[in-house]
Amino acid sequence: MFPIVSTTLFLPLLGALSVMALRRTPASVVHGIGILTSALVLAGALWMWSRGVDSGGFSQVEQFDWIPTIGASYRVGVDGISLSLVLLTAFLFFLTFIFSANVRERPHAYVILMLLLETASIGTFTALDALLFYVFFEVSLVSMYFMIAGWGHEDRQRAALMFFLYTLLGSLPLLLAILGLYLGSDPHTFDMRAWIASPPLTGTAAMLTLVAMLFTFAVKTPVFPLHTWLPAAHVQAPTAGSVILAGVMLKFGAYGLVRFALQMTPDAFRQAGVVVLVFGVFSALYGAFAALAQSDLKRMVAYTSVNHMGYVIVGVAIAALTTQPAIRAMALDGSVLQMVSHGLVTGALFFLIGMLNDRAHTREMDSFGGLLKFVPLLGWSFVLAAFASLGLPGLAHFPAEFQIFLATLREEPVALIVILGIVITAGLYLRAIGKVFFGAPREQWAGMPDLNAREVLTLAPLLVLIISIGIAPSWLLGTIHQTTAALHF
Amino acid sequence: MTQMAHDLPYLIPEMVVLIAGAGALVFEMLRLSRAALAFAAGGLLLATGLTLPLLGVDTEVFGGTFRIDTLSIWAKLILLPATVLSLLLARAELAGSDREGTVYSLLCFVTFGALVLAGSGDTMFLVLGVLLSSLGAFALVAHPRNDAATEAAMKFFVFASVTGGVMIFGLSYWFGGTGSTLFTDLVHLDKTPLAATIGLAAVITGLGYKASLAPFHFWAPDAYEGAPISVAAYLSVVPKIGAIFALAQVARDLPTTTGWPFVVASVAVLTMSWGYLAALVQENVVRLLAYSSIAQAGYFLLGIAAAGASSLALASLVVFAAAYAAMNLGAFAIIQCTGRTLDAFTGMGRTRPVTGIAMTIFLMSLVGIPPLAGFSGKFLLFGAAIDAHFTWLAFVAILNSVLSLAVYLRIIVPMFRPRDEGGETVVQLHGHMLLIRTVWLIALIVSLGLGLAAQLLLGAID
Repeated sequence: MFPIVSTTLFLPLLGALSVMALRRTPASVVHGIGILTSALVLAGALWMWSRGVDSGGFSQVEQFDWIPTIGASYRVGVDGISLSLVLLTAFLFFLTFIFSANVRERPHAYVILMLLLETASIGTFTALDALLFYVFFEVSLVSMYFMIAGWGHEDRQRAALMFFLYTLLGSLPLLLAILGLYLGSDPHTFDMRAWIASPPLTGTAAMLTLVAMLFTFAVKTPVFPLHTWLPAAHVQAPTAGSVILAGVMLKFGAYGLVRFALQMTPDAFRQAGVVVLVFGVFSALYGAFAALAQSDLKRMVAYTSVNHMGYVIVGVAIAALTTQPAIRAMALDGSVLQMVSHGLVTGALFFLIGMLNDRAHTREMDSFGGLLKFVPLLGWSFVLAAFASLGLPGLAHFPAEFQIFLATLREEPVALIVILGIVITAGLYLRAIGKVFFGAPREQWAGMPDLNAREVLTLAPLLVLIISIGIAPSWLLGTIHQTTAALHF
Repeated sequence: MTQMAHDLPYLIPEMVVLIAGAGALVFEMLRLSRAALAFAAGGLLLATGLTLPLLGVDTEVFGGTFRIDTLSIWAKLILLPATVLSLLLARAELAGSDREGTVYSLLCFVTFGALVLAGSGDTMFLVLGVLLSSLGAFALVAHPRNDAATEAAMKFFVFASVTGGVMIFGLSYWFGGTGSTLFTDLVHLDKTPLAATIGLAAVITGLGYKASLAPFHFWAPDAYEGAPISVAAYLSVVPKIGAIFALAQVARDLPTTTGWPFVVASVAVLTMSWGYLAALVQENVVRLLAYSSIAQAGYFLLGIAAAGASSLALASLVVFAAAYAAMNLGAFAIIQCTGRTLDAFTGMGRTRPVTGIAMTIFLMSLVGIPPLAGFSGKFLLFGAAIDAHFTWLAFVAILNSVLSLAVYLRIIVPMFRPRDEGGETVVQLHGHMLLIRTVWLIALIVSLGLGLAAQLLLGAID
């Protein structure tokens, strides 16, 4: 069988190397390589999807020895959960490359870093070896650090440093957890499938390992109170950086929570489930309230990420707490679909805010007004994405959040208080739309051009997917459900 | 005599190193500095090649006083090539200066001392190794013969004399407790815990000064700053790894009932934290890397604290030593062609992107970011520590890794920042670029390759 997972994984690296080799080529060629490479990656991801996944366990596994002395191998493969995230990643990167085709500031380095980031992201989702996972996990940090520091806004150095220190500090406990699981497994191995099949640790050791992992993934997701790096990083990052950070990299935390914490220390997670649930609920509400307090559009969307990822945490916690397989599958289906939806919706919103910022050089909602008259395409796209973000039925977040809330109601009804978050986000989006796009048109923005072809090409696929997941989520849920329905612990 | 015939073949690499040093000295007398360099480098490479057949051997010579084992063999395979790279750096920096050939010769002799340390199986060899590697090092630091270098060498010398004296004094307690100078007899010390403790404290003092462990590190930043950069690079790698390996040789035989692993772990915490905290406030890049190398020495101690309790310990020491040698020499090589101040690095990554990326990779490797060599080494060290139930120590080491990121970003961040208006825009290049580039290119290949292909090394160690 053709090793499509590895090919997809390393294609961006190949693209990056070819850009490195072509140091004197003009920017347009470099961006062309970026777009072409990411298009091939997307094709690879779709190919993986067309092959499908087995229910229970991983499929399309490719492996060879890497460091046999300590039981580390190069192992990659997908299940329903990781495959849907790989699809999201490939898709968002492709659009990001199209959007970034106008970057003229050091285009070579930009494309190289983005491609490196793409390999790291896909690697994080497909790795089946804990050491390999950690390698990709960390490489993504380095690339993102240089993205923010190199192409961000005014205060980028500080934001980049904060991002890097925070997430490195956050990811090191995971290293301890991985070492703990490694030393606990018999024979010693880094094979994640073995750790999932028979969790190597029990009792206090498992609980300590879980705490270390929760810390890491809480920083990454992010969960209150470990979210403080996020608004700064988002606001200072270039648009492409924000899209990838929110759309893809925040998923590392939620994915790790399912893959590592839930699957490798299930008993400990069950004991600590209520605590995780409380953090999830609080985080979701906190994110919504904090977003309400923002006047900068980008900051506002950044905080709604805290809110949306809070729902994901709630779903995972419910899955850990429940003893009924049906509810567990429902909660996890909702969580994974929420990750994908959040990637699409927040990606669209960050693109739109980036487009607005390119035109107006400000993101303060109070400085706009009546924009719909001047830029109808941009305006209506924003309205659609905002409605999706607040969870309107028929759009991407609704089926995801609905399943999470339904599972919560069945298992832990008190936690349904989290639903208040929807009301708050509805309020804040309506306020933002009202201030920016409706109201008295300001003559200052009369000459603002509407979306150009490049921007339409970036946005249209996102909006189509947002609607199609909202109306008929089953095309994606089917893949996810195959895995979540077979989980047993 | 037959015993001698058995022993000597094992020592051929060491003898070749001595001959290389002596030969370089002869060429220097003939004022043929280039030939001195070639002879020294050729000798060291020959010795490296002659070590390869010894891989897998585990024996001892001279009645157990000198060991031919994993540590001593890998010490040769790491330190000899590292010395060759140091020779090239020294050539790039000191070509045409007075007494150039003596530097090459001294580098060989100091390396010989480090090899003696790494293979010692006897307290007398510890003393011998410390002396052999120190005497040449004083001369190396003082080589430029200016005030700064002389002061640095004096400080270095006084510090060495005191710590060396303490070590010999303490070792007499071990001799008193066991009636023998062999490490293998240290097991008997569990009956005389006081003697064991005094001796251990003394050994940590004596070797700790060589390895620049806190609180015996004070000489290092001053000596590195006063010395030529190539000598600083060398001192931060070769004698340090020799001393660390010597400590590991002691640790393997010292009974754990004396509680020494905890002592080593405490020194590790102190060394790592102190090193990085002090590095945070340095403006001079050489001093910054000096403190960084102090902190890195603390990481080595994780492997030593786990020696005897974890099967990963020796392998982790060797892998980290190889990684450390590559990344530290690489970073110093780039300092040598850029400048000693942080300011010299501003904008360097923009005007010379390849050098800038290389420096970034060395520094990221020092932090321990995967998939670089430093990560492989640190990962195994953490694993060894956890395996030996020193989870808290691994945790402290991890926290220090985060601190270290802040340290190294102090160099990385300005590199990619545009130079201020009115500042010097032309980057000044120092020394022979070709030699320096060769050195950092080799270091770069090792730093990248060892991360991805750690198996090659791990498989060979077993």
